[in-house]
Amino acid sequence: MSRKIITLSLVFAMLLVVTFSLTIGAQEVTLKFLHRWTQEPDSTFFEEVVANYEAQNPNINIDMEVVANDPFKEKIKIILGTENAPDVFFTWPGEFTNRFIRAGQVMDITSYMEDGWGDTLIDSVVEPFKYEGKIYGAPYRLDAKVFVYNTKIFEDVGVEEPKNFSEFITVLDKIKNAGYTPIAFGNMFPWAVSHYMGQLNAYSVPYDVYMEDLNPAEGDFAHPGYLMALEKYEELTPYFNENANAIRHDEARVSLFNGEAAMMYLEIIEIPTIEQQAPEEFKNNYDVFVMPPIEGAAGDQTALIGYPEGFVVSANTEHPEEAIAFLKYLTGKEVGRKEAQDLLFVNGVKNVVSEGEIPDSVYNTTQLVLKTERLVNWFDSSLHAEIWSVTGSELQKLTDGVATPEEVLENMREIAEEVRAQF
Amino acid sequence: MYKKNITPYLFIIPALLFILIFVYIPIVENFYFSFYRMNSYAPGKTFLGLDNYIDIFQNEIFYTAIINNTWYAVISLIFQVGLGLILAITLESKLLGKERKFFRTVYFLPSVIAIAAVGLMFYYIYNPNLGLLNAIINLFTESNFNYAWLGKPNTAIFAVIAMSQWQFTGYIMILLIVAIQKIPEELYEVAEIEGATSIQKAIYVTIPQIKEMILVTSVITVIGAFKLFTEIFVTTRGGPYDTTQVLGTFMYKTAFFYDKMGYAAAIAVIIFFITFTTSVIQIRLANRGED
Repeated sequence: MSRKIITLSLVFAMLLVVTFSLTIGAQEVTLKFLHRWTQEPDSTFFEEVVANYEAQNPNINIDMEVVANDPFKEKIKIILGTENAPDVFFTWPGEFTNRFIRAGQVMDITSYMEDGWGDTLIDSVVEPFKYEGKIYGAPYRLDAKVFVYNTKIFEDVGVEEPKNFSEFITVLDKIKNAGYTPIAFGNMFPWAVSHYMGQLNAYSVPYDVYMEDLNPAEGDFAHPGYLMALEKYEELTPYFNENANAIRHDEARVSLFNGEAAMMYLEIIEIPTIEQQAPEEFKNNYDVFVMPPIEGAAGDQTALIGYPEGFVVSANTEHPEEAIAFLKYLTGKEVGRKEAQDLLFVNGVKNVVSEGEIPDSVYNTTQLVLKTERLVNWFDSSLHAEIWSVTGSELQKLTDGVATPEEVLENMREIAEEVRAQF
Repeated sequence: MYKKNITPYLFIIPALLFILIFVYIPIVENFYFSFYRMNSYAPGKTFLGLDNYIDIFQNEIFYTAIINNTWYAVISLIFQVGLGLILAITLESKLLGKERKFFRTVYFLPSVIAIAAVGLMFYYIYNPNLGLLNAIINLFTESNFNYAWLGKPNTAIFAVIAMSQWQFTGYIMILLIVAIQKIPEELYEVAEIEGATSIQKAIYVTIPQIKEMILVTSVITVIGAFKLFTEIFVTTRGGPYDTTQVLGTFMYKTAFFYDKMGYAAAIAVIIFFITFTTSVIQIRLANRGED
């Protein structure tokens, strides 16, 4: 009798365990997550973010994969077409992402954004994630490009922040005559020059015209402003260090840090690097200004080059709800505050940090971005890959003085025409 | 009886299947892809016929690449095979005693270093401001030379080629030494009795005896020159302004930057034909007069 009861209760207990674990098992969801930060402190940050999310959501299991910056660009293209495509992945908004949107690989998240989520984010920072009126991603960190300059050298030479482009040339001239390298520049990989061109194009070409030209199906770069932008860039080339095409961006940055160069065009996400790596001498004596506007040019003189980076959800994900929830968390306030503290980066959530919580240099440059109504994308990632490839080489020639602005523009228009024919 | 006939095939089949799946089928598939416009992330592809090939032959970078590959092949034949042969004969001659082992190792050593590491090392050797090369030039000329070896179109490709010579001459030398060591000693003894000098022994005994190996190393070198990729990728990535592009990097660029997989496949087909025909020609030339 008692044996029967024991057996029966054992069977019952077993059934209970089995059903219980089955229910758990049925609810457990694994999300594949791909990002590009292999180095410290970012990699630890992401590990912690994922661990926190898994702890808060026991039924979610995040399978995180990390690929370094350059290989990431190749890897994402290869895996997006396969069954192993990540559910949530990093991307650069603009043409880099738009080609995946055109191929139907990125989920339209407009309806989720309209459901209150969008209100928590800064509009100008969500804007870049739109394609043909729909929203496809959420921002992870803000970025913009500014001239970081050595205030001591400026004092020594007796110059101040230039207010417009012609003043800028005068300032550069004085610095050069005083024996300093006016602008440190490493253009071995021509994304560096693309940042100059993105800003100069925005100043020289009306916004709508520029946006139309960036669409590979229509762009012809016929507006005369493009030539002006190239000419303005050419005016800057005598003030770069020698051999700009032969050294990398980070190598050039050293000459800014050690006081050989007076300024350098840097992304605001490099300010944490200054805070962490630059010598005290430089850390205590630097400030920033945006690219001085061009007097009388046809573009928007308040536009600022700088695009956020962010995350998107794969259109083919098996768990759309869970993936969206994770995306919300990843780009939300909780992670944003941790991000600001651990990495000194600011994400797209409204008022995610207030003054005094992060170093002033980071806070102030972030304010520059937030005050800007119109952010303009980097020239390389806003162009069709093939057009950029030709243009990047041409811009290196211009930097070396072996091509004229006219020649660069002519080749750019030619390749744009070839690409148009493919659409 | 039957069993005896099947057994050897049973041993061959696994390897054959393996090569078929991983080598020959992809080659055929690659030919097929080269007629399409396609990329890796979007489904579907468009048939283009020979358009990819026509585009390639109209592309300036293609000709830059062919010229660069040819430079690489010619210079590598002169240094790796030519100089490698002289080194091999010298090291195996009676001019050297026990120290030959030391030199053999010294010359061979660079070839065991990973190309990526060598590339990084030479990137810094050629660096305009911190580089060892400019520092040495400045030491002797007391000037302030800061030439960017990898940054100027005139020198960039040759700087990369020079790096490869440094790395692989010793490797070819070792292959030739192995061949020289197999030459029967009697041949040299006969030559000595006939009063041959060291140079005559090298020309009339050593070189004819290792003809096969010289041929093999030449084929390896030329094929290697047209398959070139890593050396360029880790130093210049084809820059400045595409002057150091070779077929391999050009293919890579079209595949992963332009997203034109079909176009890249067409370049791969061209590389295949170039390496295939050059090796057939070389082998034919070497066999001439033998049968």
